Amino acid sequence: MTFSKALRNMIVKESASQTNQDDQSPPEQDSKPPTLAHTLEEFVDCSDITHRTFPDHQIDLVYFDQLTDKDKLSRHILSPLLSGSDEDVAKMVKHLQPFKTTSSKTLILDVLSGGIAVFHGPDAYVFDVYSPEARAISQSETETVITGPHDAFTEQINTSLAMIRARLKSSHLKVIKLSVGEVSKTDVYLLYIKDIVNMKFVEEAKKRIQQIEVDAILDTNMLIQYMDDNKYSIFPQYLTSERPDAIVSKLVAGRVAGIVDGSPSVLSLPTSFFEFFSSSDDYYQRWILGSAIRLLRFIAFVITISFTALYVSVTTFHYEMIPENLLMTLTESRSRVPFPPLYEALLMEVTIELLREAGARLPTKIGQTIGIVGGIVIGQAAVQAGLTSNILIIAVASSAIASFVIPSYVMSASIRLIRFGLIMLAGFLGNLGLVFGIAAIVIHLSGLTSMGTSYLNPVAPFKPKDWKDIFIRAPFTALRERPSQSSSPNVMRNKTKE
Amino acid sequence: MNTETKEKLSPFHTTILVHMIQTGVMALILPQLLAETFGTNGWITVLGFGLIATINILLIGAVYKLGKGRSIFQILEQSIPKFMLVPVYLALAIVWSMLGCMAGKEYILIFQMYAFPTTDPMEFKFIMDLLVFWLLTKGLYNITKASTVFFGLFVWMFLLLFFFYTDFSWSRLTPFLFKGGHFTYLESMDIYSSLLGYEVVLLMFAYTNKKTKFVKSVLIGNGMTTLTYSYLSIVTFGVFSLEQLKNKAFPVLEMLAYIRFPFMERMENLLYGFVLFTVLFSILMYEWCALEVLKQIFPKLKANFLAFIVMLTCFLIAYIPKTLNEVGDWLSTLSMIESGIAFGLPILLLVVLMFQKMGRSPAHE
Repeated sequence: MTFSKALRNMIVKESASQTNQDDQSPPEQDSKPPTLAHTLEEFVDCSDITHRTFPDHQIDLVYFDQLTDKDKLSRHILSPLLSGSDEDVAKMVKHLQPFKTTSSKTLILDVLSGGIAVFHGPDAYVFDVYSPEARAISQSETETVITGPHDAFTEQINTSLAMIRARLKSSHLKVIKLSVGEVSKTDVYLLYIKDIVNMKFVEEAKKRIQQIEVDAILDTNMLIQYMDDNKYSIFPQYLTSERPDAIVSKLVAGRVAGIVDGSPSVLSLPTSFFEFFSSSDDYYQRWILGSAIRLLRFIAFVITISFTALYVSVTTFHYEMIPENLLMTLTESRSRVPFPPLYEALLMEVTIELLREAGARLPTKIGQTIGIVGGIVIGQAAVQAGLTSNILIIAVASSAIASFVIPSYVMSASIRLIRFGLIMLAGFLGNLGLVFGIAAIVIHLSGLTSMGTSYLNPVAPFKPKDWKDIFIRAPFTALRERPSQSSSPNVMRNKTKE
Repeated sequence: MNTETKEKLSPFHTTILVHMIQTGVMALILPQLLAETFGTNGWITVLGFGLIATINILLIGAVYKLGKGRSIFQILEQSIPKFMLVPVYLALAIVWSMLGCMAGKEYILIFQMYAFPTTDPMEFKFIMDLLVFWLLTKGLYNITKASTVFFGLFVWMFLLLFFFYTDFSWSRLTPFLFKGGHFTYLESMDIYSSLLGYEVVLLMFAYTNKKTKFVKSVLIGNGMTTLTYSYLSIVTFGVFSLEQLKNKAFPVLEMLAYIRFPFMERMENLLYGFVLFTVLFSILMYEWCALEVLKQIFPKLKANFLAFIVMLTCFLIAYIPKTLNEVGDWLSTLSMIESGIAFGLPILLLVVLMFQKMGRSPAHE
């Protein structure tokens, strides 16, 4: 596009809506009959493919050894073949009849998904013996709770689905199976509860997933970035959780969940900014405690974004704001520091982030060492060397600690990054810069949407009814309705008499 | 932009938006103006001014009802040829964009005076205009959503007035009414201008439906502003004596400077910073009005481009007045014109609507 054209596009409205979307590519020809030769040709150079021939019975087996359950394979397929009796083989072939396949493409896909292809004369069958090596169910590393269930989703899509099904024994829990990634063909399950969910979200999520045309999707957090309403925002627009109880609570609240094969995180949609501040154990504690902790998290949010910035602003421009008694201590500790507060703060903030990142990448035992070394280096040496003031360390440390109070790791990481922007604004423009920064964040947030619903729900649009499960955790008898954001056709969720 | 055509304003958002547009820097100067113009117990007049604003809103409400929710552009363009309207539109756009621009510059200059005497105020103005431009491109629906959040970030400041209950003395309110003031029409217009801002709802007709309960919401918004201004004025009149009040440029800011916590004091510039949240909307909505009018003049140009031009022009014009006094003069003149528009435009629209009704009635018979 020439410059003048681009400029014109920015200034003048388009006269007619132009579409540059190609027509959908025609569905792949799927009618080819499955043959052994074609299957082997398809898997040529795949050294891990197993091809076994039983010429006596005119049977050929093609499968991936590492994807199959050895026991099942041996019991259903190999034993009859190895026993050599025609009767057994005939019985086996009879058993296989329901698994007959007529399409070459389906057969190849099924073999890739852990099936065993059995070629018997002109016929082909695929028998599912899928059983990859999988991790056992364990505790979530990122979303630990003190009270409440400790199990977390695993990378195995069916295990994750089973954990949800075990908690929701309802035929209304529906599952849509989708596939994403042109090479990876990753399975994605969309889950919802019929009659509770608003189907527009299910349809929209399905549409967005089907529109993804990429080679591979490796994790839920990767998938959701393809589905975002606002791709350039720093904030996560879908909630992800590793906890089955959390996802089940989202489902019964009328939200849609999505499981991606190979990822222990499960997504929930639509979501709002405030939803990232609640954790499962708010519900497992007494409501007053749950409410207090929730409020504490919002205070933590304010501390995270403003504490260091306020220090920079006050020590750069507004010394008058510090009371006389405190001023002595502050000037004393600042007097040895040769840098302006902005550099001092940025230096410390970057160091803290380095420590955090190093701690996250290292094994737990070495991670602890990093904590001690970092603690001593930052806490003592930096002050003694005159690189930073004591009070700044308190500010930086408390805002770092506060950031970890936010239960969602993705949200807390976003907020930590924003903090740097605020520190710089405070360093250049003082309190006004700080206020400008907060205004910019609010303006950005108010334009965000999650699946077309406002990201600032239930503050804007103003739904005070929902506040009792957002800013506090009211007693269960007070939580009678599903959140308005999920616009559920079935609003009442709790009919318990008080 | 897509949501804007679909989503209509809710009553709550409309109320908050009107309140946020009205509340602005003038709140900080208001008690001084009241003391100077009306003397003792001048705060009572705020209620009177609020009443005038209410009448004006009812006038706008009549246009809304008679026009059956059509936008004012539809009403005007049905009866008056467009070439005649273009100069009117242009004039309105100029007044509105300048009002927004000067309100912004005033806020910045006061901040500069308190905290950054050596910094070029236009640096701050640049960032402020960026924020306004950003909001302007988001459309009215998102603006109202933002206004609700900003309202939450701002409204707690009224709680700070509790700090002055110990310094408050009823004797300063005196039983005398309106003594010691020097009444001028010009100053009382200035006082009235602190309530201006409700008239921008004239351009919001197209964004409402029945559920908005438009007139009621605007009236409540105006009521909130009137009451908060009155409350603020009572407290200020009770904390300072009349003579003190007359001689203070920004009595509310000085009051805020008295607040002290064990870990922080003299927070007036931080608190004044929070006033930005509401000033932003006073500026923004005038610029939005200018933009709406310009969209009618230049239907082929993109809204974002027009918004850019409006903000650029405002930024450049803001270079002209250098001091707070100059800005005050500009604002006085502009708000006088704006008061005229606030009453004149609805009356004009009502006349047009009546002609339309008269013209239509024979066809029905």
